[in-house]
Amino acid sequence: MALDLIFLVRTLVFPGFIFLLVLVLFFDWFERKVAARFQNRMGPSYAGPFGILQPIADYIKLFSKEDITPKQTNKLLFVAAPILAFSFFVFALFYIPIDGSNVILNSSFEGDLLLVLLLVTLANFGIFLSGWASLNPYSGIGATRVLTQFLGYDIPLILLAIGPAFLAKSLSIVNITASQSIPFVLLIPWSCALFIIVLQAELEKDPFDIPHAETEIVGGYETEYSGRKLAFIKLSEDFQFLIGAALVTVLFLGGSNGPVLFGMPEIWHIFWFIVKTLGVVFVLEYVGNVAARLRIDQVVHGNWKLLIPLSVLSLALTIGIEPLLRSVIG
Amino acid sequence: MEMFEDAVDVLKKNLEDAILEFRVPKPRKAYVLLKPERHRDAISLLLKQVENAELSTITGTDLGNEIELNYHMACGGTITIKSRVPREKPVIRTITDILPGANLYEREVFDLLGVIFEGHPNLQRLMLPENWPQGDYPLRRDWKPHANQENSFVSEETSQTETEDLKDAGSIINVIVGPQHPVLHEPEMFSFKVDGETVVDVEVRLGYVHRGIEKAAERMMYFQNVYLVERICGICNAAHTTCFCQAVEDIGNIDTPPRALYLRTIIHELNRVHSHLLLLGVAGHLLGFEALFQHVWRDREPVMDIVERITGNRLMSGFNTIGGVRRDIDPNTIEKTLKTVKEVRKRTTFYKKVFEEDPTLRLRTEGVGVLSRSDALKFCVVGPVARGSGIAMDVRKDDPYAAYEEIPFNVVSYKECDTWARLMVRAEEVLESLDILDYALSHLPSGRLRVRVQRKIPEGEAVSRVEAPRGELIHYIKSDGTAYPYRVKVRAPTLANLMAFPDAIRGAFIADIPSVIGSLDPCFSCTDRMAFLDTKNGQKWHWSLDDVNNSKNRKALI
Amino acid sequence: MAKIRLPTMIKDVGSCIFKKPFTREYPAVKVQVPEGYRGRHTFDPEKCISCGLCERDCPAKAIELVEVSGKRMPKFYLDRCIFCYQCAESCPRDAIKLSTTFEMSTTEKKELLILPEEFISKQKVTTDEGK
Repeated sequence: MALDLIFLVRTLVFPGFIFLLVLVLFFDWFERKVAARFQNRMGPSYAGPFGILQPIADYIKLFSKEDITPKQTNKLLFVAAPILAFSFFVFALFYIPIDGSNVILNSSFEGDLLLVLLLVTLANFGIFLSGWASLNPYSGIGATRVLTQFLGYDIPLILLAIGPAFLAKSLSIVNITASQSIPFVLLIPWSCALFIIVLQAELEKDPFDIPHAETEIVGGYETEYSGRKLAFIKLSEDFQFLIGAALVTVLFLGGSNGPVLFGMPEIWHIFWFIVKTLGVVFVLEYVGNVAARLRIDQVVHGNWKLLIPLSVLSLALTIGIEPLLRSVIG
Repeated sequence: MEMFEDAVDVLKKNLEDAILEFRVPKPRKAYVLLKPERHRDAISLLLKQVENAELSTITGTDLGNEIELNYHMACGGTITIKSRVPREKPVIRTITDILPGANLYEREVFDLLGVIFEGHPNLQRLMLPENWPQGDYPLRRDWKPHANQENSFVSEETSQTETEDLKDAGSIINVIVGPQHPVLHEPEMFSFKVDGETVVDVEVRLGYVHRGIEKAAERMMYFQNVYLVERICGICNAAHTTCFCQAVEDIGNIDTPPRALYLRTIIHELNRVHSHLLLLGVAGHLLGFEALFQHVWRDREPVMDIVERITGNRLMSGFNTIGGVRRDIDPNTIEKTLKTVKEVRKRTTFYKKVFEEDPTLRLRTEGVGVLSRSDALKFCVVGPVARGSGIAMDVRKDDPYAAYEEIPFNVVSYKECDTWARLMVRAEEVLESLDILDYALSHLPSGRLRVRVQRKIPEGEAVSRVEAPRGELIHYIKSDGTAYPYRVKVRAPTLANLMAFPDAIRGAFIADIPSVIGSLDPCFSCTDRMAFLDTKNGQKWHWSLDDVNNSKNRKALI
Repeated sequence: MAKIRLPTMIKDVGSCIFKKPFTREYPAVKVQVPEGYRGRHTFDPEKCISCGLCERDCPAKAIELVEVSGKRMPKFYLDRCIFCYQCAESCPRDAIKLSTTFEMSTTEKKELLILPEEFISKQKVTTDEGK
């Protein structure tokens, strides 16, 4: 019985659903604030101290708006796709060890890294479906762009994620995190840099925000969405952003590892995790703000001609110098 | 300028038999009245003999029994070739086969005056809505708004959205950009035919913001019209007022004091600086480079503050008037302006470097939207678009006005012919403009600000050209000796540049649409020119909110 | 393969983190407009000679002469006004002047009228205080 209670609390409240939701909203705010400061703007500043409640205000607004389903669309798909994408992302986030262990205790297994990547891919397929079901030229173009870009960039992403797994000799995220007494970013920095660039493409951030390039195709796949369904799409995007940043943290920055100064170690784990992930968000926003959006053909070429060979090289290099690195890790 | 005199000589020599009247009332302005149907000879002669000759626009004027067509040819100065057609049977041969760039101008005259151009490839409505009554030409002098205009509109169902060519065919889908779209800041419709990610063809529909300003101008006094033409376009308002005032001063033989000419130049150049910076920022936004967009606009703000300080408003300067300018500039403001100019120069030099060197920007702009030199001439493009295609034309140099004859500056031109070149032209032009400002502010002559001008302007006609930020802007005014103009014609630069757009975009990617549209720097309010017209008495043209809400009147807001 | 260059904006964007934002919290933090800004009109009923030039010359037809306490004086419709100040220029007695008040947006159309009474009553108040 006690176990069940812990299970329920961990899944629903902390560090499960509600905590993740708050965290995602906080990250949304942080991302917007940082982007604004990079552009020498104020950013959100009215709702709450420093505008920290702005994302909540936005979602409340979206949830209270009229929800329109266009006549000609495939209604089931149109409604289900955003919710599907959203739940995949939440599920994937459950496997990221935020306070040192998974959200569902002991659910970690050899290969959950691949499961997370798979879930993210599936969720993106949900986003594609949402655009495809809209029956709008802009959504259609946006949806095909999601697929083109995502399928291409999945390959280097997985190749690059294998690097840390190889060093840790495990495909379980918890084990990879645990084995980073020295964060992997110091051992294989090239891999981390490439991972961040590829992640930029996965997260559809500048210079890869092609699927929803508003000056080209208005809202991309989300053009026809409004109200609650749009809120779900926006939430999934925010969740995806958190997963991306969290992946960098757990794979290269040592996850929730960090000095425990006093009190409960769990709190410090969460603290270090959030600080590191915020750092990653900062870097991602920085990259996004110094480049113009590329074109889909340039992105595809860049992927197959540049990033995939580079990630293969990076993996080979990691394997090649692994004995050396191992002596450093000790 | 020699080019202009050569052109005049060529016309006189070769077309002696066709010329009915030849006047050169002012330097670099010639008016030639030809026998019917001889305009084609004159135009093809000018195109052949004069380098970089272009057609500025076609003005149609209703003279009562006849409709006069003025072909304004830009060749060093302006040679206006006149040809008259009877009003009962207004038919004339097209010149689109000699000069494809005349396409939209002929359509405009057809639309608003009902002149039929024989042999025109696509003689359709340009400005007016599709359901506008047939045979109703608002720019004719005796045109009266119909009392029951509501009924004379054809029902909405036959409007264009139902026609065949908007249906999808095979793998080609229609992507309609506009009238409301994030890439456009003003309503205008582009209908793209897209195969995958490649643009196959595009159709442009204008007229969404047609306000009938040319017609409204006939009902207002000259000095009031200055405020009206100022509102044709917000961003290049000083260009419009300078152009209009120049034309009126030309007809009335008014000598504008030199200080006023310098002040006009200053406000005109400030206009150009903030307009170009605006576009460079917008280009950043269109290319998904938000930081560049925000930074350029941040550095544009001091220029707006200076304009506000000099004129009393950030944008609508209300500065020029017939016979001079309305406000003086004090030494403190001059000092502050010089300081701002220095700052802006530093920042612009940096942004020029960004456009020159930034890898992602170059990836997106190089080789995109190519408009070759010969095509640019063929479509009569103007301003930075022409200069980006290697045509070094600039009204400020070719046909100097205001104080430009005394101020040294360079005409920037690039040979790359692509989006990148067009953006670079603008970045470099800002630097040139800042130099002009420096010179003008430190060489400001003393003296009067304006001369007193009678409300009635003597009979006559005048063409006036200025280099607006977006290119050559031309106003044509005909006066019948009263306080109200007989005809005001405005051709804003965007209309000229828009013709080249389908050519530049064909074969490009969807993702290039924003950057190519952006690099033309379209300003549709300018292009469409407009005002409210009352359907009942044709006098009252101002509207309160209640009037607009009244459904009976709503239809009349065209 | 083109030479790989770093983005040119990298330093500029990065340094902005340490800069004060350029934008302002506008309604909370007020802005100053320069002297000579063309804002809301002020009107001096004493100087007005009821000539009606302002009404005739206004390009937006935003002025109407109305009879107030036995004298015809201009009433301004700010919703039509284009703030060109041709009226001030045409006025032979300088009775119309500009002010730097620019915050005129409202949901009440009535607030967009400037009646001559507004200035008359104000003057009376000041003279009353003087007594």
